[in-house]
This record gives sequence, structure tokens and C-alpha cells, in this order.
Amino acid sequence: MKKEEPGVLMPEKKSIYKEITYSFEDPFFSPFEIQMGPQHPSTHGVLKLRLILEGEKIVDLEPVVGFLHRGVEKLAENMNYAQVLPLTDRLDYISAMNNNTGYALVVERLLGIEPPPRGKYLRSMVCELARIASHLLWLATHALDIGAMTVFLYCFREREMILNFFEKICGARLTVSYPRIGGVRLDVEESVLEEIYNFIPYMYEKIEEYEGLLSENRIWLDRTKGVGVITGEEALAYGLTGPSLRGSGIPYDVRKHFPYDAYPEVEFEVPVGKNGDTYDRYWVRLQEMRQSLRIVKQCIEKMPEGPVCAELSPDLDMPLYKRAYRAEAFGESTLIAFLNEGAQIVPKGELYSAVEGAKGELGFYLVSDGSGKPYRLHIRAPSFIHISALKKLSQGHFLADLVAIIGTLDIVMGECDR
Amino acid sequence: MRKDLKYLIFKDLIGGLLITLKTFFRKPVTVQYPREKVTLFPSFRGRHALVRDPETGEARCVACLKCVQVCPSRCIEVKFEVDQETGARKMLAYNLEALRCIYCGYCEEVCPVGAIVLTEWFEYSSRDRSGLIFNKERLLKNWDEFVERFPEKVYTNKFWNLKGVPEVLKPAPKREGIMVKVRE
Ligand code: SF4
Ligand code: SF4
Repeated sequence: MKKEEPGVLMPEKKSIYKEITYSFEDPFFSPFEIQMGPQHPSTHGVLKLRLILEGEKIVDLEPVVGFLHRGVEKLAENMNYAQVLPLTDRLDYISAMNNNTGYALVVERLLGIEPPPRGKYLRSMVCELARIASHLLWLATHALDIGAMTVFLYCFREREMILNFFEKICGARLTVSYPRIGGVRLDVEESVLEEIYNFIPYMYEKIEEYEGLLSENRIWLDRTKGVGVITGEEALAYGLTGPSLRGSGIPYDVRKHFPYDAYPEVEFEVPVGKNGDTYDRYWVRLQEMRQSLRIVKQCIEKMPEGPVCAELSPDLDMPLYKRAYRAEAFGESTLIAFLNEGAQIVPKGELYSAVEGAKGELGFYLVSDGSGKPYRLHIRAPSFIHISALKKLSQGHFLADLVAIIGTLDIVMGECDR
Repeated sequence: MRKDLKYLIFKDLIGGLLITLKTFFRKPVTVQYPREKVTLFPSFRGRHALVRDPETGEARCVACLKCVQVCPSRCIEVKFEVDQETGARKMLAYNLEALRCIYCGYCEEVCPVGAIVLTEWFEYSSRDRSGLIFNKERLLKNWDEFVERFPEKVYTNKFWNLKGVPEVLKPAPKREGIMVKVRE
């Protein structure tokens, strides 16, 4: 990052609003720099923004990230494949199921494991529930930033129910570690599936309630329509994915284009917006919640019987696992063949695979050198890439709109800083 | 839109207010925490405990060090001695730093005898760091405190399911659950 002295910066920076003339001597009409965050409540975590303002208009903006850096990628290099999985919970801690699935998928593709059908369906189901929970939290905080306190409380009420489902399924609410390499960890009891099934019509009703509160509300429309507009081409150029891209009218969805798990077998639509403004992104996310409910419903209806985890899925203590135990249980397996070749426990190679996270395309790039640990694991975090578009979205808007724009991109700093 | 009749009669705002008015008559969902408690579901991953064997009154741990190997945050430390004649291991010290634990549940999943468990206990805190570094005695005490609340005799935890292992191949303690000594 280039370090600039504020005193040097001001005369050099040209205003993009030519109609406003200012002189450096007059303190009221010169651009000035303020720091927003990292403790600002509406930056959704620890995002810091250096803003150059002119009056109340944003001229320039520089995001400063890294306050929540925990070195997940580097930590992963010192752990075996199974041990990295709980770390991925901590990326986008609001929809941890998607992160786990993304990581599990890339290792499955490396090892050549195919999860059994029930495992796939369960994984898709919990991923969609996590997406709903994430969108609910987004809607709650986004509305709270703009001033709608009621929606905040309502959304948390429903989110609580989904988190209770997670607790019943796997024992934790946020840091779930439920999807595993080669399937899921535990089977879900029939009674819990039934509860989730009964939750679906209730949730449809509630989404209508949120829409009744917001979609036509004049304050909401004034604050969101025409704010933070980005066209489809620009959004693609900035690398936006997920609802932020679909709000601009580009129907790109990893679940449709590169299907994984049970997504090829269920029906759902990809909602797209038109104008690419904050309101359209809001609309897209609400529709997406409905589609997610559709997927959950189909998953429960079509849920096949059988095991939930592949037989060849690696043990937790993977590099040191008991060869004899494996051979006794499953006969001569592929993993044993790898072991017999020498130190090479897993195949060598590099691969990238992505899932549709709640925020956008969540990709994992894995380099394997044949040992039990990843040689390098890169995480393509959508939040990090979305932050780069902040400047484009907010230039020319008022400072108060910046809060709406940060909210609309759905940024989670745990994922951005990793 | 501005000239719209709906806009002039405040239909949007009144519609929203009606929804909030409806909620006014619903039952509150808030849990008043210190007085009420949330229901914890089975296999909640809470405070650690070392299971006390009702027969010997000691921990069941056989010092196989599997939990030490597999812990992602490396917060378990086990000291053991080997019996020269039989070759059996005896656990001497078991230290677990709850401050560093990420509550993944890997340790209870790999433990072959079901010695370390994450109990359904979430109310614990300490004013200093040393209060959350559990040693062997503390972990056994955790188990006693947990069992006091536990009404049934056999304690099973669905997190003991070893992944991909059929029921018959599971070690016996994990299949049958842990006998809990219930006070008469
Ligand atoms: S729950 Fe996970 S982090 Fe905590 S002690 Fe067990 S293995 Fe280690
Ligand atoms: S895995 Fe179980 S038996 Fe082995 S050292 Fe840990 S607590 Fe003891």
C-alpha cells in the first residue's frame, strides 16, 4: 500500500466533481480524509475504509483489510487434510456448511472419492439451510444499517431456528464441521428431517413478512434504488460473483454451471436482477432464499437411504492411520495402494474447485505434493474480491449511502482476511 | 410512483405497521437467560471431561495419544509411562487448554475407549487463564459435575461414531456407551 501524507495528498488529488470549485485555503470546500472503521458497527466486522470526502460526497475510497488475519492458508500447510476442515468453519462463519463442503469437495476430487447419495443430499440440504441463515443475517444487518430495526429482530428469530437445526444435526451452531471429506459426519435423524420439512412453509410466510416490511417501504426504496449501481460487464470485470453479480443481470451460479453434490438432481431457478443497484441485490437475495427452501424441500423428499460417508474417506489422523485396520475392514483399498507406493499418501497434483457460497463463488485451490498435508491451499474468498468493487460502487454517493453499499455486498471479514 | 394513490395514503408504511402490530400479539421467543435456560441438544460440544470409570474411579484413558495427534489446535498434552513387563501404557498427566480449543470434537471422535468427551455443559468461565487450563483432576471433576445432571444410566454420544466404520467394527466402549454411576 502506498503511503501518502495527508498534507501532500490534498492539493494533488483532483475532484471528480468539476462543478464544485474549491481552494485549499478554504477548509469547507477542500476534500478531507476520514477513517471509517475498523470499529464502526456497520462495516460488518473489522473493515477500515480511508475515505476522501468532498463535503458529504465520496471522492475516493481505499479499503484497508487484514485486521482479522489468522493465517488459515499457512496453518493448513502444517495439518493433514482432515484437520484443515475445522479451520474452514472460521472463514465465512455465518455459513460454515458451505465452506466445509467447498473444502471437502476439493479433497474428494484429489483423492477420487465419491460421497454416497445420502451424504450428497444431506450436504446440499445443510448448505441451503446455511445459505438461508446467511441471507437472513445479511438482511437483518443491512436493514439495521439503513434504519429498519424491526427486520433485524424478525430475521434473528428465524435464524435462531436454523441454528437450532444445526445444533441438532451436528452439535454446534456456527462452527459446524459437519460435511466431511467423502460425505457428512453423522446421519440426521428422521425426526429432525421432519422438523426441517415443517419449517419450510413457515419460512415462506416469514419471507413474505420481510417483503411486506421492506419491499414497498418508501424509506427503503429511497435508500436502495439507484444506490451502488454496477453494470453486468463491470461486475464481471471486478470479479463479483454470487448475488452481487446476479443483481446486475448475469445468471452465473456455480450450482448450475459446475454442479456438485445433489444440485444436478434438484430443480431450482437462478433469480437475476436488472439494474444492478442495491435494491436489485436485495430482491435477488430474497428470491434466493425461496429457491433455497425449494431445494431443501426436494432434498428431504428425495433423500435416499444408505450410508452417509464414503468408505474410503480418510481418517482424522490420516498420515498415520492403521494400515492393518483398514485392510481388515475393507480389503485392499486404493488408499492402501498409495501407502504401499511409499510415502505418497495422496495423489500429486493441483486442482481448483468452487462451490456457490452464500456470498459468492468460494473456491479452493489445492496443491498436493503427495504427502498427507496440503502443500499449498489458496482460498478464493468472495468477500475479498467484493471489497475491491467498493470504490466503484460508492464514488459519487453520500457518506450515508456507503453504509448501504457495504451492506449490499454482504462482506464477512473473517473470510476476507482469512 | 410519487403520484400514486397508494403512495399518498401511506399504504406501504401502514402495511408494514400492521405486520409489526400482528407480531405484538405473538408469544415472545426471547429466552431470559439467567432465569430460563436454552435447551441443549444431545451431543452439544461443550466443556471437556475425562470419563470416570465407575469401577476403578479413574480415567478410562489408555494413553494412545490419538487425540493429541488429531487435535487441530494442538491443545492436548498427555504424559504416560510404559509398564516394563506388560508393555501397557499408563496415563500420568492430561492437560487440555480450553482457551485454545476450537470445539471441533475430533478428540472425542478418535478416542478408541471414549475417554475424552465434550459434555453438554456451556456455563463455564474463569477470571484468569489458569482456570481454563484443565488438568486431569479438573477434567474428572468436570465429568462428575456433568453426570450429576445426567438422569440416565448409560451415556452415549452420537459424536463417538467413527466415520465410515460399521457398528460391529467399532471399539466396544463406543458401541455400548458409558455406564454412568447414578447416585442412589
Ligand atoms: S475439540 Fe478439537 S480443538 Fe478441542 S481439544 Fe478436542 S480436538 Fe482439540
Ligand atoms: S484418544 Fe482417548 S485413550 Fe487415547 S490418549 Fe486421548 S483420551 Fe486417552
